[in-house]
Amino acid sequence: MRGSFLEKLGTLVRTGVLGLWMLGVVLPMFWVLATSLKSTKEVTRSPFGIPDALAHPGAKTFAVIAENYTKAWVGSGFSAYFWNSLKVVSISLALILLLGSMAAYCLSRFEFRGRNVIYNAFVAGLLIPMQLILIPLFFQYADWSDVLTRSFAPVARMLQLGNLTVSLHNSHEGIILIYVAASLPFTIFTLTSFFGTLPGGVREAAMIDGASEARTFFSVMLPLAKPGLITVAIFNFLGLWNEYLFGIVFLADNKLKTLPLGLASISMQAQYKSDFGLMFAGLVITMVPTLVVYLLLQRHLTKGITAGAVKG
Amino acid sequence: MSPKHLSRDTKRFLWIGILPSALLYGLFVIWPAINALMYSFTRWDGLSTPVWIGIDNFVNLFKSGSDFVTAIGHNIYLTVIPGSIILTLALFFAWMIHLKVAGSTLFRVTFFFPNVIASVAVALLWVLLYSTTEMGPINNIRQALHMEKVPFLESARLLQSIVPMMVWSATGFYLVLFLAAMENIPVDYYEAAHLDGASPTLQFIRITLPLMWDVLTTGIIFLIVGGLKFFDAVWVMENGRPSPATHTMSSLMYAKVFEEYNVGYGTAIAVLLFVLVLIITRISMRLLKRERLEY
Repeated sequence: MRGSFLEKLGTLVRTGVLGLWMLGVVLPMFWVLATSLKSTKEVTRSPFGIPDALAHPGAKTFAVIAENYTKAWVGSGFSAYFWNSLKVVSISLALILLLGSMAAYCLSRFEFRGRNVIYNAFVAGLLIPMQLILIPLFFQYADWSDVLTRSFAPVARMLQLGNLTVSLHNSHEGIILIYVAASLPFTIFTLTSFFGTLPGGVREAAMIDGASEARTFFSVMLPLAKPGLITVAIFNFLGLWNEYLFGIVFLADNKLKTLPLGLASISMQAQYKSDFGLMFAGLVITMVPTLVVYLLLQRHLTKGITAGAVKG
Repeated sequence: MSPKHLSRDTKRFLWIGILPSALLYGLFVIWPAINALMYSFTRWDGLSTPVWIGIDNFVNLFKSGSDFVTAIGHNIYLTVIPGSIILTLALFFAWMIHLKVAGSTLFRVTFFFPNVIASVAVALLWVLLYSTTEMGPINNIRQALHMEKVPFLESARLLQSIVPMMVWSATGFYLVLFLAAMENIPVDYYEAAHLDGASPTLQFIRITLPLMWDVLTTGIIFLIVGGLKFFDAVWVMENGRPSPATHTMSSLMYAKVFEEYNVGYGTAIAVLLFVLVLIITRISMRLLKRERLEY
C-alpha cells in the first residue's frame, strides 16, 4: 500500500518536472506565433496578452494578421526565400539520395579492387568540418568562373549575348553541388550499412530472372531500402534546410537567398528592427516547414537516432 | 563475389554507381580540403600570387593576446558550460521518461522541437526573448520581480546569454539519443537489481550508465565538435560583425578571409579546427570508450 503510494507520488513528481521543461520549450514558440498575430502597436501595448485577433475575431483584427504575413511574404521577399529553399533543398536531396544510394549499394554488395579505399575515403569525410572546405571552394569557384566564362565566350558572341559571365558563384547550381558532395559521406556511410543488412539472396534471385544490375537495383533493392532512405532523407533535409555558413558565402545575392539567409539578413537591417509584426511573421515562416516535416516523420527520425544509438 | 566473376553488365553498373559520387566528392570536398592545407602555409590576399611562409600563420595564431587565442577560449566556454548542462539534463529527463510516465511520447516529441528549427531562427528567437524593449519577455519578468533590465545581447555578455539558448535547443536531441540507449538495456538486469534491493539511483549508476557508455561517448563527441564549429548564433546575434569579445574560431576565420583578405591566416584557423576535431574525436574514443560491455 505504502509502496504504491510512493510510486504514485514519484510518477507525479516526474510528470511535473517533465511538464515544466515542456512548458519551457513550447512557450517561447507559442509566444512567437501569438506575437506574429499582433500589430506592432499591439505588441508594444500588450506584449504577452492574447492577440486581439483571437480574443475579438473579426475582419478588423484579422486584417492585422494579413498585414504582417503579407508584409513578410510579399514585401520582404519571404516567398522568394521559401521557394529558393524548396528548390535548393529538393534538388540537392534528390541527387543525394540517387547518387548516395547507388554508391552505397555498389560499395556494400560487390567485391572489387579499390572498394575499401573508396569506402574509407568517403567515411573519412565525416570528420571534415565544413569550415575547412569553405574558403578553398570560394576561390575554386572564382577560378572556374574565369575558365567557364572564357570557354563560353565564343558561344556568347555567336548568340550575341554580350559579356556573359558563367559562374557557379552566387548561383543555386553552385551551392547544390557543394551540398550534395558534402552530404555524401553521411549518406553513403549510413546506407552502406543499411544495404549490408538486406538479405543476400534477393539480388541473385532477381538476376536469375534475367534482370540487369540496374533493373535489380532500381526495382528490387531500392524499394527494400526505403526505411534507410527515409532516415537519410530526413537528416539531410533538416541539415540543408537550416544551413547558413555556406549560404552567406555562396548566395550573397538577395534574390537567391534561402529562408535562414533571408531571415538573418532582414533581422540584421536596422530599418526592420522595430517592425515586430514583420519579424515575428518571418520567424514563423522559417520555423514552420521543418516543424511540420518533423511532426509528420518524427517516428522515422527517432528510429534513425535509435538505430545509431544501438549500434553505438 | 570475387572480382573475376563480375560480368560486363555488373562492371558497367559499378562504374555508373560510384563514379558520379566519387567525382563530386573529390572535386568539392577532397580537393578543397587539400587546398586548405596549402593555403594555410601561405600569405595571400586572394588576388596576388600566394607567398609561401611555412608555419608562420600557425605561429601567429598562438601569439599571446591574439584574437585567435581569445576565440578558442570562447569555443571552449561554449563547449564545456552548455555541454555539461545539456548532458546532465538530457540524462536526467531520459531517465525520468524511462521510469515510465504518462505521455512519454508527447514529452519526447515536444522536447525535440527546438532541434529541428534553423539555428538562425533559434538565435533570432532568443534575440527577441532577451530584448530590452517593451516586448522582451525575460526583461519584463525581471522588472515584475523588481530587478534591473539586463542588456543580455551586449558583446560583453553575449556568450553567457548563448548558454541558455544552446541548452534550450539541444537538450531534446541528446535526450532522444540517451533514451534509446536506455530502452535497449534488457529489463532482467533491473529486475535482478530490484530483487537485491538496489534503489533506482543505484540502478542508474551501476546498470544504466555503464551499459550506455558508448552512446554517452557519441553524445560527448557531438557536443565537443559542435562547440568547436560554433558559428551561426554568434554571427546572427552580433549582426554579422562579431567583436574580439565574441568571436569564435569559425567567425574569426570568416572575418579574416572575407573582411581582412588574410586568406592564409584564415585558412590556418580552419586547418587547426579540423586537426582539433580529429584529435578530440580520437582522444574521446580512447578515453571514454572503455571495454565495450556485451549484453
